[in-house]
Amino acid sequence: MNKRIEEAYEKRPRNWVYNTCIAVITLALILWSCSAVEATGAADGSGVIASNIIKGLLTPDLDFLFDFSTSGVPYLMLETICIAFLGTIVGAIISIPLAFVSAANLVPKPIAFIGRMLLMAIRTIPAFVYGLMFIRVTGPGAFAGLLTMGVCSIGMITKMYTEAIEDLDVSVIESLDAAGCNTWQKIFYGILPQLMPNFASTAIYRFDINLRDATILGLVGAGGFGAPLIFAMNAYRWNEAGAILVGLIVLILIIEYISTRIRTKLTRG
Amino acid sequence: MSIYDKIFKPHVYTLPNGKSVEKKASRGPVYAIIILAMCYLSVQITGFDMAVLAQRMGEFFVILGDMFRAPKFEFMENVWGPIFDTIKMSLLGSLIGSLLSVPFAMLASTNICPNKIVVSIVRLFFSIVRTIPTIVTALVATLIVGFGTLAGTISIAIFSFAYIGKLTYEEIETVDMGAFEAMEAMGSSRPMAFISAVVPQVLPFFLSNCLFNFEGNVRYAAVLGYVGAGGIGIILNERIGWRDYPSVGMILIALFVTVFIIESISRYFRKKLV
Amino acid sequence: MIKFEDVGKKYPNGFEGLKHVNLEIEQGEFVAIIGLSGAGKSTLIRTINRMHDVTTGKLTVDDVDVMSLSGKQLRRFRRKIGMIFQSFNLITRTTVIKNVLTALVPDMPWYRSVFGIYTKEEKLQALECLDKVGILDKAFVRADQLSGGQQQRVALARTLAQNPAIILADEPVAALDPVTANQVMGDFKRINEDMNISILINIHHVDLALKYATRVIGIRAGEIVYDGPSAEVTQEVLTNIYNGRVDAEGNVQEEEE
Repeated sequence: MNKRIEEAYEKRPRNWVYNTCIAVITLALILWSCSAVEATGAADGSGVIASNIIKGLLTPDLDFLFDFSTSGVPYLMLETICIAFLGTIVGAIISIPLAFVSAANLVPKPIAFIGRMLLMAIRTIPAFVYGLMFIRVTGPGAFAGLLTMGVCSIGMITKMYTEAIEDLDVSVIESLDAAGCNTWQKIFYGILPQLMPNFASTAIYRFDINLRDATILGLVGAGGFGAPLIFAMNAYRWNEAGAILVGLIVLILIIEYISTRIRTKLTRG
Repeated sequence: MSIYDKIFKPHVYTLPNGKSVEKKASRGPVYAIIILAMCYLSVQITGFDMAVLAQRMGEFFVILGDMFRAPKFEFMENVWGPIFDTIKMSLLGSLIGSLLSVPFAMLASTNICPNKIVVSIVRLFFSIVRTIPTIVTALVATLIVGFGTLAGTISIAIFSFAYIGKLTYEEIETVDMGAFEAMEAMGSSRPMAFISAVVPQVLPFFLSNCLFNFEGNVRYAAVLGYVGAGGIGIILNERIGWRDYPSVGMILIALFVTVFIIESISRYFRKKLV
Repeated sequence: MIKFEDVGKKYPNGFEGLKHVNLEIEQGEFVAIIGLSGAGKSTLIRTINRMHDVTTGKLTVDDVDVMSLSGKQLRRFRRKIGMIFQSFNLITRTTVIKNVLTALVPDMPWYRSVFGIYTKEEKLQALECLDKVGILDKAFVRADQLSGGQQQRVALARTLAQNPAIILADEPVAALDPVTANQVMGDFKRINEDMNISILINIHHVDLALKYATRVIGIRAGEIVYDGPSAEVTQEVLTNIYNGRVDAEGNVQEEEE
C-alpha cells in the first residue's frame, strides 16, 4: 500500500464525536417529547364519534353551501376574502417603515437588532390575543378581524421585505451616482424598481396565508367563516361544518392557483 | 396577442431611419382599478372606519399596558409545565408528520414516480390537507381522543405532513438526476441509486425545512390550547377569561423567550445544513 | 471485445438513431467517435451498457448478448463498464471520497449502503483511485467546490473504483476549457495504456480526437461513414462525416438548433 495514500487516509476529518452527540441529543429529545402524550379520552366510543364526523363532513349541507344570502357560505367566503385583503394591505403598509429600520445594511447594527427583537415579540403574541385587544377598539366583527390579520402579517412581511432590502443590487445605485442623479432620483429609479415586484409578491403570498389562517379569528368572534365553523363543530352540526370546509378548500385552491401565477409573473417579469 | 392588446393598441415608435418598435399598452391602470375596487368592496363589507381607529386606538394599548406594566413573575411556576408540553407536542408532531410525508413526497415527484396519475392524486391530497385549518383538525382530534396534548400532537402532525410534503417533493424535483443516472450506469438498482445519489442532495434541505417547520409549530401550538388541545394555550385562554392580564403578560414573555431560544438554535443548525 | 452486428435503434417517435451498425472493438483500444450533434454518437455509446435499448441486430460484449440481460444480470454486467458524462454527474453536496465510494455501493450489503458505512479497505481503495488521477489532496473536499476539470477527474476516479474493462465517455470534455480538456484527455490516454482498459469516447473536438485516440469512428445520421486509424483521417473524411460543415483547421460549424 502506497505511503501517501496511508497519509491521506490518516488526515481524514474525524467528527464522529460531534455526530454521536447530535444523534444522542436528538434521540433524547424525541423520547422526552413522547412523555407528553396524554389525553383524557373521549366521553363515549371514539370510533363512533369519528365515523359521525367523517360522515357529516362528506355530506355537506348543500342548502347552506349554495345559499347566496348574507347568511350562506358564499357570503362568508366573500367576507373572509375582504378581511384577508384589507388585513394584508394594512400589514404591508405598516411593514414598510419597520423593514427599513431593521435592514442591517441601512441602519446601525444595534438598531437593526432592536427592530428584529420587536418583530419577534409582535409575532409571538397569538392571533386570538390581538383579536381580543382589537375587539375592545372596534367591537366584535370583521373590522376587528382585519386589524388582527394586519398585525399578525407584520412579522412575516417585514422579514421578507428586510431580506429584499438587504439583497438590493447596489451597483445600480453606483451607476446612477455616476450619471449624476440626486438622492430622490436614486431612490425612485434605482431602489424602488428593484423592490416593487418583491414587495408585491410578498403581499400576495401573505394574502394566501391570511386566508388560511382566517379560521382563528372565529375563535374570538372577529368575523369571517371562523365563528360559524367553530359553532357548527362545537354543536356537532358536521354537515354545516362540512359545507364551510368545502367552500374554504375550493376558495383556497383557486386563490393559491391565481396567486402562484401572478407571483411567477412578477419574479420573471 | 391578447384581447387586451386588441382593445388598447400598442404604441408604435418610429425612428428617423424608418424602423419601428411597438410598446404594448401598460396593464398598470387595469391592476390599479382592480385593487381599488377590491379595497372599496372590502371597506364596505368589513366596516373599516379610519375615524373609529383614530379615536379608539388607545383602547388597544390598555390591555397591552395591563399585561406588560407589571407582569406577574410568581405565575411563572405555573407556566413551566404547559410550556414544556407545548414544545414536546410540537416536536413530536413535527417529527411524525415530517417522516410520514417522505414516501408520499416521493410519489408526488415526477422524476421518481413515472405514473402521472399517481403524482397528481398525491399532490391534490397534499393541497387539500394543507387547506384544512389546524384549528379544525385540533378540534376534531379533541372530540375523538379527548382533551390534552395528544390532540395537539395529531393536528400538528397533520399540518407538518402537508407542509413538509409539499416542500420535499418540490426539492426532489429540482434534484440533479445526473448522479442518479451515473449510479444506474455503474450497476446500481434504482432504490440504491435513489439512496446514494438523490438522498444526499435532498437531505440537508429536508432537515432544514423540518427545523423551520418545528419553529413555526411551537408558536402555532399556543393557539391550539384554545380549543383544548393541550399546551400553553390552555392556561393562556384561562387567564384571559379571568382578565388576569399580568399573568397573561408573564405567559407571553415566557413564550417569547422559548421561541427566541428555539429559533436561535434552529437557525444555527439550518445555517450549517444548507 | 465489443461487437455490433447490423445493429439498429428506432426511437418510439420513429426517429432512427442507428442504422445497420457493424463494429468490432478489441480490448484495450482507444476509440473516438465523431459526428454532428444528433448523428447518433450518444446513442451508440449508450447502447453498449444498455442505458438505451437496441431494436434490431445483435450487440455482444465479451460474447454476452446485451439485449438478453435484465435485472440483476444487467446490473452485474454494468459493473464491468464505466461511464463518464459531460456534466460529470457527481453528487455535488458530498465529499469527493464519498462520490468515489458510491462506485462500491452495488457490491456492498444493503444495510451498509443505506447508512453509508465504508470499511478502511474500501476507503483506501477509493483514495488510490483518486491518486491515479492526481487529486488525492482533494479527497475530503466537497465536490461542488472543485473546478470543472477536477470534477471530471473525480468522475474518472469513481469509474476506476468499479474496476472496469471498458470506459464509455459521453462528451467528457465538452464542458471544459481547452487546457483542462487536454489534461483530462491525457488522463484517459494514460489509463488506456497503463491498465489496458478499452475507452470509447464521444467528442466534438476533432483535434483532440486525432491527437489522443488510436482509432476514429465517424458517424452521420445513424450510419458509420468512417472507421479507421486516426492517423489516416484526412480533410475529405471530415468533410464527409460533418456534411461539409468543417473547415481546414477541423473546426466544426454546428447547425443551428
